[in-house]
Amino acid sequence: MIQVLVNSIVYASEIAIIAVGVSLCYSILRFANFAHIQFAVVGGYLTYSFATIPGLALPLPLAMLASAVVTGLMAILIDILVFSRLRNTSAEGKMIVSWGVALFIRSIVAAIYGGSARVFDVPSSTIVVGDAVFTTLDVAIACATLVLMVALHLFLYRTRVGSGLRALASNQELAVTRGIPGDRLIRLMWFLSGSLAAIGGSLIAIQTRLQPSMDLVILLPIFAAVTIGGLNNVFGAVIGAVILSLAQNFLIWIDFGSLFFGDPWHIPTKFRDYVAVLALVLVLLLRSRSSAAAAKR
Amino acid sequence: MLDFAIYSITIIAVWSVLALSLNIQFGMTGLVNFGQILPFALGSYAAGISASLGYPWWIGALAGLIAAPLIALLVIMPAQRLAQDYWALITLGAAEIFRLTVLNAPALTGGADGLVVPRFIDPTLAMSVALAVLAVTFLLAQRISSSPYGRMLRVLREDEILASTLGRSPIRYQASVSVIAWMMAAAAGVTYAHITGYVAPSSFTVTETFIIWTAVILGGPGRNIGVIFGAAIIQLLGVSSRFVAQWIDLPPDLIANLRLASFGLVLVLMFLYRPQGLIPEAKQVHDAERN
Repeated sequence: MIQVLVNSIVYASEIAIIAVGVSLCYSILRFANFAHIQFAVVGGYLTYSFATIPGLALPLPLAMLASAVVTGLMAILIDILVFSRLRNTSAEGKMIVSWGVALFIRSIVAAIYGGSARVFDVPSSTIVVGDAVFTTLDVAIACATLVLMVALHLFLYRTRVGSGLRALASNQELAVTRGIPGDRLIRLMWFLSGSLAAIGGSLIAIQTRLQPSMDLVILLPIFAAVTIGGLNNVFGAVIGAVILSLAQNFLIWIDFGSLFFGDPWHIPTKFRDYVAVLALVLVLLLRSRSSAAAAKR
Repeated sequence: MLDFAIYSITIIAVWSVLALSLNIQFGMTGLVNFGQILPFALGSYAAGISASLGYPWWIGALAGLIAAPLIALLVIMPAQRLAQDYWALITLGAAEIFRLTVLNAPALTGGADGLVVPRFIDPTLAMSVALAVLAVTFLLAQRISSSPYGRMLRVLREDEILASTLGRSPIRYQASVSVIAWMMAAAAGVTYAHITGYVAPSSFTVTETFIIWTAVILGGPGRNIGVIFGAAIIQLLGVSSRFVAQWIDLPPDLIANLRLASFGLVLVLMFLYRPQGLIPEAKQVHDAERN
């Protein structure tokens, strides 16, 4: 039981930190940015490079920080080159373009680093609490996410710049006529979501392994988490990640066999991704019901 | 050289069917299907599974053409009345789920190793079949495009509320156009399986979906002949890059990645500089007075 909770928290942390960027972008620019997943992959690879290139070999936290800064700047660059010129394009159009950007980044990463997996060599020791076993790395991941999410919350709700971002999200035209520097804040938003994605991607890479195909592994869970949280709600994405992660881990943990047939039987671990899609479909079904009900009223 | 031409035409024909299928969904109706590879995969696997069970080819073809519209309706159900972002997510999720299912059910689908399908022995025959499927699809797409039904699809694309005020139910049109489009893609899938003689989950990833999207955006969304042109350019780029790889002796992996990067670049550049595509959709003017 505790073990399942621990696993859920670690997985939710990794997903949440990437998912907030998607909803941050959606809340201000109103489109689902599929290239965001690639920011996480790029972030993971940059961290790997900064930590392993001979002569540089930064310690891991510093490498992650450097990777976050570079990925954030890359997100701004992509906005300048692509998305800022498409502000008046439909949301579908921007979504399709974001796939083009994703395809481009993904192929470049794969061309530079090759398709084989890389593993971070991080020393960590195991901790045993009751019947739960986890590593110091798990604790570090959960703590890092918690600190970053609290910092993001304080930034959005306690600073002038943060209020500006929220104003842009709630009514862009009004915010700009009231003297909020829209373009500069949009750049800031890109930097924030890019660098958060880089940290999230690095955490996933450190805990599992680094591969260009990791984008397909995290794509569905992240968009499911964002959808559960309601696309344009930044902290909804965090809650979505927690709900999704709990659902995934508990469904695998519950012994359905003993419950219904007598023999122990678990849902195989490989069906975790189904939970993500099922959750997505379920949320959309409920939402289409409620919007239909709202339309009738 | 002749073999190469025949092979290229065959491949272009198959991908043109996929592009036409996406075109009547997105180009005409405005449905953002990010899982366009799913009906293609359904067709391929219908052919593959029926072949592995020892049935003749037409059983597989029939199974694919029946499964695709049913799955289309199943996928569309949760997405109705929702904005296009959610359509995109649902279709993307459905395609990935199918791929994962295929990977995780090796008893039926061969898992990651895939299935062997009887091949066309004569490449000319393969080309003729692919071209025949393309011809049927193209005529159907043209027929839809010029019919009152097609005009209503365009109304739907431009303004869903307007379509509703005209007394038309958007979801009915969206569902029916998806059913037709998915059957087209399934037919392409069946043909593809018999051309390559082999189906595996790695041929049906999100990346393949975006190769189809690139073809449609490049050629001209809404214009049937345009998207065939787009598919031809993209596939010619694909096959010729393999030649270049042999010629200048670069690792095939690197070439494959650079090819995909160029597709992504094409998609982005088209949106930035020529969103109407190379052969844009003709403006349709209807004058009720003059008729």
